[in-house]
Amino acid sequence: MLSILREEPERRGEGEMDIGVIIAGILTLAIYSFLYRDNPIYKMAESLLIGLSIGYTLVIFWQSTILDLLIYPLFGGGKIILIVPLFLGLMMFSRFSSSLSWLSRIPLSFMIGAGAGVAIPAMLYARTLKQVSASVTSIVSANGNFNFSELVVVVGLLSTLSYFYFSRHHEGALGRSAKVGTYFLMIFFGATFGYTVMSRLSTLIGRVDFLLTDFLHVIK
Amino acid sequence: MTNLKTRWIIFASLLALAVISYSITIKLKIRPSPQVQKTYDYIENLPESSAIVVSFDHEASSLPEIKPITQVILRHAFRNNIRIIGMSLFAEGTAIGYSMLTRTAGEFGKSYGQDYAFLGFKPQHISAILGMGESMRGVFPEDYLGTPIDSIPLMRHIDNYDSIAMVISIADGDRAVQWIEYAGARYNQKILAGLTAAMITTYDPYLNSGQLFSVVGGLKGAAEYEMLYGQPGSGSRGLLAQSMAHIFIIALIIIGNVIYFKGRAGKKGRG
Repeated sequence: MLSILREEPERRGEGEMDIGVIIAGILTLAIYSFLYRDNPIYKMAESLLIGLSIGYTLVIFWQSTILDLLIYPLFGGGKIILIVPLFLGLMMFSRFSSSLSWLSRIPLSFMIGAGAGVAIPAMLYARTLKQVSASVTSIVSANGNFNFSELVVVVGLLSTLSYFYFSRHHEGALGRSAKVGTYFLMIFFGATFGYTVMSRLSTLIGRVDFLLTDFLHVIK
Repeated sequence: MTNLKTRWIIFASLLALAVISYSITIKLKIRPSPQVQKTYDYIENLPESSAIVVSFDHEASSLPEIKPITQVILRHAFRNNIRIIGMSLFAEGTAIGYSMLTRTAGEFGKSYGQDYAFLGFKPQHISAILGMGESMRGVFPEDYLGTPIDSIPLMRHIDNYDSIAMVISIADGDRAVQWIEYAGARYNQKILAGLTAAMITTYDPYLNSGQLFSVVGGLKGAAEYEMLYGQPGSGSRGLLAQSMAHIFIIALIIIGNVIYFKGRAGKKGRG
């Protein structure tokens, strides 16, 4: 089934037009027609995008999970142990029946238990311990130089943490610290938003590149 | 109607600006950031025949940003005769990754199985990352084309992270975080990330703590890398269009604020 997806498109000669490029070019323009207003051409392109994405993902999952990991090894390779995950998977579908839905709790508990067992130690180490140790730095370096960046990190960390301390009213020293924390948060949100705008513009430029280079051949 | 007109003017101007600035060739002075320089230096200094994993952990929608980054990194690796093992932890990245890897390998006359291979997509990414630390052939018994992994010459002596110089996760989300948390933390594997600009701030804490070796981020990162590689590509060309669009947006923000404050001052004066 995947063989069609795996085929590499043939290299085309000078001046030859790929039908895929023509379709992609027309669909790109159809999507951008939304900038004028919602219209049937845009709706068609949008539905096609969603349908294709879901269809493609379904094919990939069917091949790489159901066939490669279950059906072939179980029925072709004789791995009898795979009956266990097969039954656990089938139990998930018991949710469709009100009288049997309790069965779905068994695979769910297995998944949550195994997931938590794997994730908690890793996340505790990578997201908490390593991050805390990276935050504990010296403001004065070994050769006696004052490190302004580290001071900013310390002030930013403490003031932002104080903003999320809700057991006391944000008054007095805590209030002032929390206020400073909001400024650090705003700087972070601003930087993130700026990068997001940059990312979206890159998407536009990518489409302009495709339209000018591959579709219209204006740029070589 | 006025809102629609204003929107039209803004969108049409932005599109026109992107088209014009993308079409003209102006050589921008690009200075590589420390992160991009670090990535370039690391790949440049890898011994020939080292093996690296490039994981295409992204959706098709982020291709405009991802493609320039991926292409220049792949070209650099192939130029230095580094062997590449491609894979994907995101279904949509699978065909894109295979296509990019195959085409770039073709530019350098590299042969499949000897110089590069593509293992395909694996669901349950955490299990896959952890499993690769024990045995890559256990996680990927076959490659993307259905060839048994033992029949691929490149894979004969590679079975876990011990034989891999680094993992490059090309990501538009948090998949690279999982590489850091599982392959990096547990197996001490060096992790690099090629990221969309929107994700850069998410990865900053991992960079500062040293858990992530380096980052090539967005079109800007791609342009910087292309400059170091010595062959300007779509990243460098796109950077001019992006800079012009940024100037345009900043101008719009200033104009919008001037109009707003003038209007408010006028209202106060009348009130």
